[in-house]
Amino acid sequence: MDPNTAGWVLIAALALPLVGAALMLLLPKDDEVRIKRFAVLVTGVAFALVAAMTAAFDYGRSGELQFVTDVAWIDAINARFHLGIDGISLPLFFLSYLLPLLSAIYTTKHLPEPGKPKAFLGLMLLLQTGMAGTFVAFDLILFFIFFELVLVPMFFMIGMWGGPRRDYASVKFFLYTLFGSIFMLVSFLAVYFQSGLRSWDIVELSNASMIGSTTFQTWAFLGMFLGFAIKVPMWPFHTWLPDAHTEAPTVGSVLLAGVLLKIGTYGFIRIALPILPGGAERFAPVIGVLAVIGIIYGSLCCLAQTDIKRLIAFSSVGHMGFVMLGIAAMNEAGIQAALFGNIAHGVITGMLFFLAGSLHERYHTRDMHVIGGGMLMKIPRYGVLLTYVAVASLGLPGLAGFWGEFGAMWAAISPGFGLADRYGGLYLALVVFAAIGTVLTAGYFLWMLQRVNLGRPTEKWAGAELDDVLRIEWVAWTPLLVLVLALGVFPRLVFGVQDAAVSVLLRTMGG
Amino acid sequence: MMTDPSLVVQAAWLVPALPLLSAALIAAFGRRLPWHGAEIGLLAILASLGLSAAIAWETFTTVDPAPYEAAFAWSPLGGGFVLELGMLVDGLTAMMFLLVTLVSTMVQVYSREYMHGEARFTYYYAMLSLFTFSMLFLVISNNTLQAVVGWELVGLCSFLLIGFYWEEKSNQDAANKAFLTTKFGDVGLIVGVIVLSAGMFGLTDTPFNFLETIDAAVAGQLSTSTIVLGMLLIFLGCVSKSGQMPLHVWLPDAMAGPTPVSALIHAATMVTAGVFLLARLFPVLAQSATVMAVIAVVGVITLFFGGLLALVQDDIKKILAYSTISQLGYMVAAIGVGGYTASIFHLFTHGFFKALLFLGAGSLIHAVHSNNISAMGGMRRFMPHTFWTFTVGSLALAGFPLTAGFFSKDEILIAGDLWALNGLATGTAVYWVGLAAAFVTTFYMARAWFLIFFGEHRGAPHDDTHDDGHDEVAHGGHHAEPHESGRQITVPLMILAVLSLTAGLIGSPFAQERPNFESWTSTPVIEETTYPFLAEFATAGVGVSAAEKGPSAKILHGPPSWHPDLLLIVLGVFGGAVGLAWRFYGRGLPERDPMLQMGGLTRVLVNKYGFDDAGYRYVVVPVRDRMSAWATRISNDVIDGAVAGVGTATKRMAQTTYTAVDQRIIDGGVNGAAFSAAWWSARLRRIQSGDVQRYAGALVAGVILLVLAFVAVR
Repeated sequence: MDPNTAGWVLIAALALPLVGAALMLLLPKDDEVRIKRFAVLVTGVAFALVAAMTAAFDYGRSGELQFVTDVAWIDAINARFHLGIDGISLPLFFLSYLLPLLSAIYTTKHLPEPGKPKAFLGLMLLLQTGMAGTFVAFDLILFFIFFELVLVPMFFMIGMWGGPRRDYASVKFFLYTLFGSIFMLVSFLAVYFQSGLRSWDIVELSNASMIGSTTFQTWAFLGMFLGFAIKVPMWPFHTWLPDAHTEAPTVGSVLLAGVLLKIGTYGFIRIALPILPGGAERFAPVIGVLAVIGIIYGSLCCLAQTDIKRLIAFSSVGHMGFVMLGIAAMNEAGIQAALFGNIAHGVITGMLFFLAGSLHERYHTRDMHVIGGGMLMKIPRYGVLLTYVAVASLGLPGLAGFWGEFGAMWAAISPGFGLADRYGGLYLALVVFAAIGTVLTAGYFLWMLQRVNLGRPTEKWAGAELDDVLRIEWVAWTPLLVLVLALGVFPRLVFGVQDAAVSVLLRTMGG
Repeated sequence: MMTDPSLVVQAAWLVPALPLLSAALIAAFGRRLPWHGAEIGLLAILASLGLSAAIAWETFTTVDPAPYEAAFAWSPLGGGFVLELGMLVDGLTAMMFLLVTLVSTMVQVYSREYMHGEARFTYYYAMLSLFTFSMLFLVISNNTLQAVVGWELVGLCSFLLIGFYWEEKSNQDAANKAFLTTKFGDVGLIVGVIVLSAGMFGLTDTPFNFLETIDAAVAGQLSTSTIVLGMLLIFLGCVSKSGQMPLHVWLPDAMAGPTPVSALIHAATMVTAGVFLLARLFPVLAQSATVMAVIAVVGVITLFFGGLLALVQDDIKKILAYSTISQLGYMVAAIGVGGYTASIFHLFTHGFFKALLFLGAGSLIHAVHSNNISAMGGMRRFMPHTFWTFTVGSLALAGFPLTAGFFSKDEILIAGDLWALNGLATGTAVYWVGLAAAFVTTFYMARAWFLIFFGEHRGAPHDDTHDDGHDEVAHGGHHAEPHESGRQITVPLMILAVLSLTAGLIGSPFAQERPNFESWTSTPVIEETTYPFLAEFATAGVGVSAAEKGPSAKILHGPPSWHPDLLLIVLGVFGGAVGLAWRFYGRGLPERDPMLQMGGLTRVLVNKYGFDDAGYRYVVVPVRDRMSAWATRISNDVIDGAVAGVGTATKRMAQTTYTAVDQRIIDGGVNGAAFSAAWWSARLRRIQSGDVQRYAGALVAGVILLVLAFVAVR
């Protein structure tokens, strides 16, 4: 397939899960095995297609859109059906196909209560189209549709297969994101009318000279900021996240952490920054401060958790803080680090949620006090995996978590757009506090490991029969475990792909 | 740079690569092999040692000391900046290679017997290899960021090995303490590296590169604030890693790990990292009088007060741990008073005798099943090899004339003396406090020596209140009488003893001609760089140029020379300290240990100056227990309260709209209309069913309607 002409591949990749979901409706409801296998097949084929696409991608021109489709769509409002993929989108798009495949494999063994695999997996496929679409849509309307499309299946996943407080969590998740997206839509409209281009096209709008006055940019940016910041989530808009994660079924959490949160940061980088550079420049210090508050605050909250899944959820607040710090740096290194942090967080935290899910399958509790330690003795392989991924999450160099965090701090020392001159001291302070956040992160992960992994099993569990890592879990997890190491040892895998695209992006911002 | 570097120097990357490979192989296949993986570890480390020796010889004998650098682009970082993966081989690298691989080899040989029968024997060997790799990776780095990677990996491996016996909570706590304390210092290291690299923006695409940073600093291209801030922050990392006060608190607790690991940590693969990094960046920090003064002061405080703590210890490993802190203080202080060569020379010799002492202590612990010197006594009769090797190690640590420790410690004192000639008070402090601490060192080592090897054998009390219970479990039951360890333990001791006697000669007055230690570890930059603040001082103050001021404005002091006066003082100090110890402990353990009868001083020392307690009470507890609770409460009550408030307000508004506006005003007016109140309320109740499917259905329908309306209107 030729990346210059084969726009159909991208459409096929987006359509496959949808078609799969439709075909799944035809399967008999009771034949659970066949439904599960079918989901693996669909996500597998879709992944194979995206893997082939990744192989065919022209890395020499990663700064340009490839596999483009750009046709008229809703003429009445000038919306176009514009799809494409560049170096910034590719890693995220890839992740959107890897994680559902692994989730489908995992679900063949662990289907959350109350069963109903057809509905569950169908929703997952629907979700996949939505989230993958956001990363390749280059029309604001199209982006918005994908953005909203993601909400519905996730809402059901939490609401129907979730934990005891699923109703509260799902409605909160839904309404909160919807609330933000409305401001985002208003900003999209404002940009559309203000630009005078009569276009929703992200590329065109990015390349346009400064849209409106600085005041306009500031207000328009505020709208987008609300939409994306809630999605990320940035402090103080994060409170939906721990609830959603705690209640969501394992696969829901994996996809939520692994891909959904990235839509927010991606939106900042792809839409808010290049279209409204003036607003972004004024907002950057605010974003930086909120990001660092998020880092420190998220880590502190983690220290207070006893539910291991809630702990991981709060850790996302801290990690996404690093991503936002990279964005606040407003330079190439910062955007690079933010995007790397995105991928690394998706892989690592996705894996952590898998582990938390399997922990619950075994112990039927996620309370660290009830588990009470000794997991390394009781289920040693599982314990080793938990240690490995936790250590990656706390940002050990050589594993995936390090480069995004370090890169964000490094970039923030000399922020772009003249921010270094005006806010040099502030940004230095941000770097210092972010670095302190890494100590707190190490602290809560080490204490978590101490509480569940180390020591001897308590009486309650000493005699219990617990499975170590199952074969199906190995299959579902190995790709992530390998990625955690591979991204750590070869950061070029992501940095290299993004480099040219980030340069182009910064050029459109005039930086 | 170097013209046609020899093949061994070009192959230097194999030195770290082999232990990494071995770690992976042991983890994969170790369990199935006859020696449970130890053979892979030994083969790899022996190969690394051989190569290191060849590189050491090559760099030692080469006349041209220019470093060899080779690197490739590891990854772009954005903005055109590139992170390199590279190697920088000069005398300093070669010296560290030799030290690390040699001590690692000794530890691995020794561990086969010492750790025999341990449940996690294979894991242990894999970790040893990984630990060695991490340190070598740090040492070979050609840039600060790569060094950070190695540095953090060293920290992780030490965490895993200190917590090797993770069944016990105290060991878990020790491992956490080590990791978190050093991680705290890493805040400084990381921000320092970032600040330093930011100074290089605009000068190069590879802002982390060591040599480029050094050149820029020497050429005055880095601003003073960059150098001062960057180096002070990096020094904070060194303070925690190299056990300087007040971040030394993790080091004594790190004794929770197996004893050979302690040897590794203390001699080669962990605490030396900080001093190494300071040496690597020496020409940069030499640009600032402030930075050097801070380093010197921290070092002086540590070398004296760290050593005092050893006086009241009963646990042999703790005595050695505090002696390490004190000796690291010497090294750091030397850096602060321009003793570049002296500092790394002491690092070099200390590695050998400290490894020897720890491995010797392990041999003793192995025999008596206790860490406590009060449980030993008379050991020279049972363990003659351990006795004489431990004696050599103690003499070297105490700086007895002609041992390795003597030459290196004297270098430091002389460096202090020369610094004092420039009118800098820190030099004087290093000289006199260094001498006083030498007295303390000799005294506590003599105390331990008398109590361990002389008098009657006391034996461990029967209820076994010792810390290191695992060794006993591994080796099964009590022995009636202690006996000498096997050859895999004693041979490493003997090799290290020989080195503790001879390794100092290459930096001694016997080595006036090149090549000697100074020529080995210097580079053209080190040779040419002068302290700018000294030159200023000279021209502004006294009116003589830096050149006339003589060699003191230069980093190198020239070949070592005899200092008969210092020799006499050192002998006097040694004699006095040993004599005092003999008076107290020469006839075995006194009823009341005078060290524990010093009233307030004893109390202060036993409480470790209150640092551990304060750190726990004023840092760990507030953050872990209190601040985290506040944060959670803010999250749940304030922020989420606001969110809930918005929700409630909206609901109430809807209610009001419905009851007040809709029911009374509109519905009251339009009575009998098609849409009655009952009809609405039935509909509304259905919407509030809590059935999520229905919510979503309504939403999708709404979106579709909106889109349709939008299209229709246009």
